[in-house]
Amino acid sequence: MTRAAVAVLALVPALRLSAQAFPTTPPQATRLAPVHFPPFKEATLPSGLALVVIEHHEQPVVSVSLAFRAGAIYDPAGKEGLSELTAELLSKGTATRTAEQIASTIEGVGGHLSASSADDFLTISVDALSDQLELVFDLLGDVTLHSTFPTSELELARTRSLSALALQLSQPGSVAQRVFAREIYGRNPYGRSPTSDSYRAVTPEDVTRFARERLRPGGGGGLLVVAGDVTDAQVREFVDKAFAGWRGTPPSGPALPPPLTRLAPDILLVHRPGSAQANIVVGNPTILPTDPVYYAGRVAAQVLGGGADSRLFLILREQKSWTYGAYASLRRHRGLGYWQATAEVRTDVADSALVELLHQIDRIRTELVPDSELTAAKGFLVGSFPLTIETPSQIASQVANAKLLGLGDDYLRLYRERLSAVTALQARAAAARLFRRSALSIVVVGDGAKLYDRLKAIGPVRLMDVDGKGLAPGDLDPPPARITLDPAQLGSRSDSSQVVVQGKPLGFAVADITQVGDSVVYSEHAVMGNGMFDQRTTVVFAAADAAARRLDQVMIRQGTKAEAHLVYAGGRVKGNNLVPQPDGSVRQLPVDTVVPAGIVDENVAPLVGSSLVLTPGQTLRLAVFTPSEVATRVLTFKVGRPEAVVVPAGTFQAYRVDVTGPKVPLVLYVSVDSPHRVVKQEFVGQPVVIELVK
Amino acid sequence: MRAVGVLGGLLLCAGWLAPGLAAQAGRITYEAFTLPNGLRVLYSEDHSTPIVSVDVWYNAGSRNERPGRSGFAHLFEHMMFEGSAHVKKGEHFQLISRAGGSENGSTAEDRTNYYETIPSNRLNLALWLEADRMRSLAITDENFHNQRETVKEERRLRVDNQPYAPAFIDGMTWPFDSAACFAYAHTVIGSIDDLNAAQLSDVRAFFDTYYAPNNATLVVVGDFRPLELRRFVNQYFSEIPRHPDPSPVSCTSRLAPGTARREVTDAHANLPAVVHIYRVPPHADPDTPALELLNVILGEGESSRLNVAVVRRDKAALGTQVAVNPFDSRRGPGVLVVLAIANQGVDPLKLDTLVTAQLDSLRASGVTSDELTKAKNTFRAGFIHERETTLGKAEELHHYDMFHTSLAEINGDLDRFLAVGADDIRRVAAKYLDPANAVVIIVKPPAAGAAQ
Repeated sequence: MTRAAVAVLALVPALRLSAQAFPTTPPQATRLAPVHFPPFKEATLPSGLALVVIEHHEQPVVSVSLAFRAGAIYDPAGKEGLSELTAELLSKGTATRTAEQIASTIEGVGGHLSASSADDFLTISVDALSDQLELVFDLLGDVTLHSTFPTSELELARTRSLSALALQLSQPGSVAQRVFAREIYGRNPYGRSPTSDSYRAVTPEDVTRFARERLRPGGGGGLLVVAGDVTDAQVREFVDKAFAGWRGTPPSGPALPPPLTRLAPDILLVHRPGSAQANIVVGNPTILPTDPVYYAGRVAAQVLGGGADSRLFLILREQKSWTYGAYASLRRHRGLGYWQATAEVRTDVADSALVELLHQIDRIRTELVPDSELTAAKGFLVGSFPLTIETPSQIASQVANAKLLGLGDDYLRLYRERLSAVTALQARAAAARLFRRSALSIVVVGDGAKLYDRLKAIGPVRLMDVDGKGLAPGDLDPPPARITLDPAQLGSRSDSSQVVVQGKPLGFAVADITQVGDSVVYSEHAVMGNGMFDQRTTVVFAAADAAARRLDQVMIRQGTKAEAHLVYAGGRVKGNNLVPQPDGSVRQLPVDTVVPAGIVDENVAPLVGSSLVLTPGQTLRLAVFTPSEVATRVLTFKVGRPEAVVVPAGTFQAYRVDVTGPKVPLVLYVSVDSPHRVVKQEFVGQPVVIELVK
Repeated sequence: MRAVGVLGGLLLCAGWLAPGLAAQAGRITYEAFTLPNGLRVLYSEDHSTPIVSVDVWYNAGSRNERPGRSGFAHLFEHMMFEGSAHVKKGEHFQLISRAGGSENGSTAEDRTNYYETIPSNRLNLALWLEADRMRSLAITDENFHNQRETVKEERRLRVDNQPYAPAFIDGMTWPFDSAACFAYAHTVIGSIDDLNAAQLSDVRAFFDTYYAPNNATLVVVGDFRPLELRRFVNQYFSEIPRHPDPSPVSCTSRLAPGTARREVTDAHANLPAVVHIYRVPPHADPDTPALELLNVILGEGESSRLNVAVVRRDKAALGTQVAVNPFDSRRGPGVLVVLAIANQGVDPLKLDTLVTAQLDSLRASGVTSDELTKAKNTFRAGFIHERETTLGKAEELHHYDMFHTSLAEINGDLDRFLAVGADDIRRVAAKYLDPANAVVIIVKPPAAGAAQ
């Protein structure tokens, strides 16, 4: 090489001889060696206990779980929560250790011991570093065989469970799941949840009996899984010692009645005032865990809503921006399982989101899944297998699941193959069978005042509160915000109207509006049928927000005079009101009751409604007090398009406003020009019209 | 202070069956290199399962936000999943999921992370996806508006629609003064108003400032060959240009300025609650090991101080919880949070008195030797569990790299905890659990019958 060439080379930065450009498409997979489910040893001990040992020596840890068929479905009716309380008490005292000693012994070595109850199973779990294996089994045997369930501990656990229930009922997701389970399962035990009554009904004898009867090793009842840095021989030795003499088979469980099939979907709206979102859960009961349609169903559920690469997420979140996440999944029990789709969405799109969700359910049931989506779903379900066997706890959990649900000895070995074999036809058939569109339960937890009307447009709506009590639409909250009146609407004026009954003018009403200080005084004199009925009404209300201050009313009806005088102050209304009786007479009755701040007297509801800012298409809500019924209700004003209205006072461009909420709904025609005046009132189903004359 | 041999001594005394295993427990071996564009790369082999975790930390978090733009780093994290020059919207999720992988990300005060765990034959895919979004994120109006709405729903889901969450989340910021330490004086999730005010240009500016190779660390742990990894990293990342280093964040905060108490009404809560927030030093401070052990003694498990006294003996709380820096560690001052939810019928002021009494007792009389042993053993077990998985190890590598003075502490750190004495714990309790160092929040359900 010449010196010049060497010099040039020295100036050039070191080249990567094999430099490649940035790939513009995703790089391809390289080969992955086949991955097998890790080996494990299983045995049935003389006591009948099933034992599984998973040796895994990467880290010096051990985890142990002992599961029994003693979950919530075994709670006697009326004592829901018994299994949960029994589980809680298992670590709260044995013949030789107090609760404090149990806790400080296991936690002192950096481990954990706990017991919990789910639908089917009660599970005792212990974990520690593997140098504590002997202690782990000593404690496990002690709590399983020798727990004493002290009464004082039951009382403390009960107190905490009652509080925990109150906490749950304040959390929208928990409320949704609780209600949903009841909806889909009905009286089937899978649908039950503890209540404060059922917690209170549990006695110490109940707990002792439940544990004695159900925490037994035999009859397929007990499963012990040990995973981690252990050997089979060690485990056998410790198990034999800890559970020496343990025998018995639990009684068989309750009959699990098939849930009633819903005949048509309806929407159960759980009113949670002030909710910032709507929690939607839809689904229905499905299959027994060994039903072979599971594999195709699992693939269909994955396509529909298994994760971020699934239809519900991509559409409801990534396309429509309605939610942080929407998902669907199949869930298994020992008995009938279920499936559910969920989304927590912005309240004002809850109806659209539900419609879209139902549409996606329809699609997966009726359309073949395209190849790309089928491949993607299986790619995840099958391809993610190595991620699920990284730690001994993960492996233990899969083995336990397969055994407890009775999935068969070849389940773990073959499930990937079975998933891979699912075709689009099978997925569609499974979806059609499992996602029962005509029998769906739909639960929505959110602000009923905002949701009721919207959801009613989709299907029949049942209303309840978070405690499960049925509600009527009138029970939904009045609007939280106080209204703001437009002062230009309440300038002093006098309006005269005639009352027309079946086409004939039969009376008149003169209404005067005056401003006095910060109040508006509305005085009305109405006369019907040549003096048969004469009523003078004066309502004083705040000019800023229409909050009622006073009502004075004098009514003369067929010669009899009755008066109403009410004062609204300090969140109460006091005085007496006039209550028309069915026989035509009128009674004066005392009133003294709580009213929400800012409440409007119903006598001025049309005036107030028309004095708000009105635009076509708007829905306004007004909370009013109806003196004659001593009741608070919400009036809804739906503002329609302007139209020409002819009345004796002239022809006016007026908004048609439909008012619902009062016993007799009405239609107001409110002039478009300021000040808005009610130029005509019609009463739905009544031949009465009030028209502006002057 | 004590020799590394103490750990070995402890383990031998315990008579473990596999002393080799014990001595290795929790140790991470790793290599490090830096590309010319500033990208720092750490990797650790683990061939026990045929998977690999790829984990990128950007040195950007809520602490980098300015007033009026809270929630931005988290909104940006969402944008990172929306596509890049060679990846369409939705395709990131699809590619990882179809390959049998799982992925996510999270935003904290000091850092934002993006990670995927994937079968080891798709390492190249994971690295390529990280590189494509680092170099060419698609910042469009459509993606921006979509993810802004998504983030608002996330806020509603996690905070606005839940009992206690607003008090907890906001409470974490109250110990810090907005003017002297805006970095920690606002929430990670941000306010709806600030999110609404954000502009597309803000997103672009954030990307240009913080999403650069010189402001990021890439960690890979799992079943791969180092030469292959280096080849991929060079091919995908080396040509991404560096950006100017972002300006540093400052925070001035004083310990124990005086107790602040607030009462808040929580429209969703059925039960009252009490939250105490104490200022604690940056993670690298020498007091941290003692503080973390104090945390365990105070709040972890059935045998914790608060559980034994306030839940079991006084029967005043449904449950209690203590946490240091709930989102992630910090290079600046942090928080130790104590939460207690009252049983039905318990007055929150009474609950507060009982909780405070336990803290005072600990400050005055310290901890027992049993408690100290429990805390150290809990720590040791936790240390091992954190490092059981490839993703766990990846996060540990990042943690030591960012929050410790030297990454090399990753294997010796346990010794610092085991060396803490009862006096150390009493000292840090006295210093940091000082009432004058606390923000105390009494959370009350709405008054019965009050209008919503």
